[in-house]
Amino acid sequence: MAENNFRALQTANKGKTYFLLAAMGLLTWLVAYAALTYFGVGTASTIVPVAVGFALIGVWGSYYGSDKLVLTMTGAKLITREDAPELFNVIEEVVIASGLPMPKVAIVEDTAPNAFATGRNPEHALIAFTTRILEVMDRDELQGVIAHEMSHVANRDTLVSAVAATTAGAIAILSDFLTRMMWFGGGRDRNRDSNGNPLALIFSLVILILAPIAAILLKSAISRKREALADATAVSFTRNPAGLRKALEVLAADTTVVRQKSNAVAHIWIESPLDGQAVSKLFSTHPPIQERIATLKAMESLGPAGE
Amino acid sequence: MELIIIGAVVLLIVFVVAQYNRLIRLNITVDEAFAQIEVQLKRRADLIPNLVETVKGYAKHEQSTFDAVVAARAKATSASSITDVAAADGALTNALRGLLAVAEAYPDLKASSNFLSLQEELSTTENKVSFARQFYNDNVRSLNTAVKTVPTNFFAGFAKVTSREFYEVENAADRNVPNVKF
Repeated sequence: MAENNFRALQTANKGKTYFLLAAMGLLTWLVAYAALTYFGVGTASTIVPVAVGFALIGVWGSYYGSDKLVLTMTGAKLITREDAPELFNVIEEVVIASGLPMPKVAIVEDTAPNAFATGRNPEHALIAFTTRILEVMDRDELQGVIAHEMSHVANRDTLVSAVAATTAGAIAILSDFLTRMMWFGGGRDRNRDSNGNPLALIFSLVILILAPIAAILLKSAISRKREALADATAVSFTRNPAGLRKALEVLAADTTVVRQKSNAVAHIWIESPLDGQAVSKLFSTHPPIQERIATLKAMESLGPAGE
Repeated sequence: MELIIIGAVVLLIVFVVAQYNRLIRLNITVDEAFAQIEVQLKRRADLIPNLVETVKGYAKHEQSTFDAVVAARAKATSASSITDVAAADGALTNALRGLLAVAEAYPDLKASSNFLSLQEELSTTENKVSFARQFYNDNVRSLNTAVKTVPTNFFAGFAKVTSREFYEVENAADRNVPNVKF
């Protein structure tokens, strides 16, 4: 089997996601360990569940209601078959190819071509398109974009990013609590007898300070892998890498950016609206678009079914 | 010691049930996928009379093309076994291509809104048929792999699940048969 076919790519990207999620777990564990060394069992056993609880409440609500919440956050409006029969035709084609249930469809009034998918499970999926993307793309390109969005639904990416956001959130809250407590000389005196090892203390301190940044980096890396996975899954639905490749070229050539109401939903679009703002590749939620185009081109050269 | 034995027996039961259910699920998915192909083929068959009438209105002299489409449609609606359905499906796809090629020569026809909407319906249905085929063949591929590989192959007889036929279309250009690798 060739290295670049969509099945191999899907397996590789799934593997990388599991690895990154495991790294997230390890990081949470390290932070909990640092809290334990620094403040002793008493403080750590109250503060760790509290932080995880806060993060869970915050993220879970937005995960569960993602289809409705995102509608308000992006200003998308639900449409029916009568509003856009051709769009629905192409969506139904991809639905048949993927074996998923028909998603809800929405339109965002915007001059930038873009699209996104959300929803807590395939039964509550929602895919949305900007008015501009429907104007600039031909049938094949649109099919590629829809397949990419339906791939997010198939791969349960709302869940994956909710898990990543919860962990990153818990780590941020935790390290915030603990560094504050340190400034005020908190629980350290109480537990001085139980952990005198200065090396362990310094190690814990370093972990607490670096953990939030590491968590954000991991979260972005997970998002990038999910995008690459969605491209590969899209090809498994349409068997036509050229369609999505041309669509990405259209997106790359266009410099207008979605006027979004909130940066909180930046990661859900097919093309990142924050491209210009990202500090470096490490913090961006999407792989560089040229890299995605190159991967799809490599798949095209493998022949029709990518076999 | 008893606990270990009980634990091992429970694990074994869970394992057997999981394998059995996997086979049954794959089998049902294949049935559903085939039903989807039939739904789309029916949709296409329903479009044809309207399309032929519309083209006839502009292109009266192309009787042989119309006859070919109508004959292929009749064959496709009466086929029942997978091989027959697939063969008739391929023949009808070709006949329809012929019909659309004829339409190319009549600018008035090509500009009529009725024809345009029929053409859109036909092309989306053609895509749906081919995606339904692809979905079916992918599922047959998973099922056949499960029936022939360890450990699911031990349970295939018990679950009464056997390898299924791929949906192969005659026309070489339409072939969409995955290589099965074990």
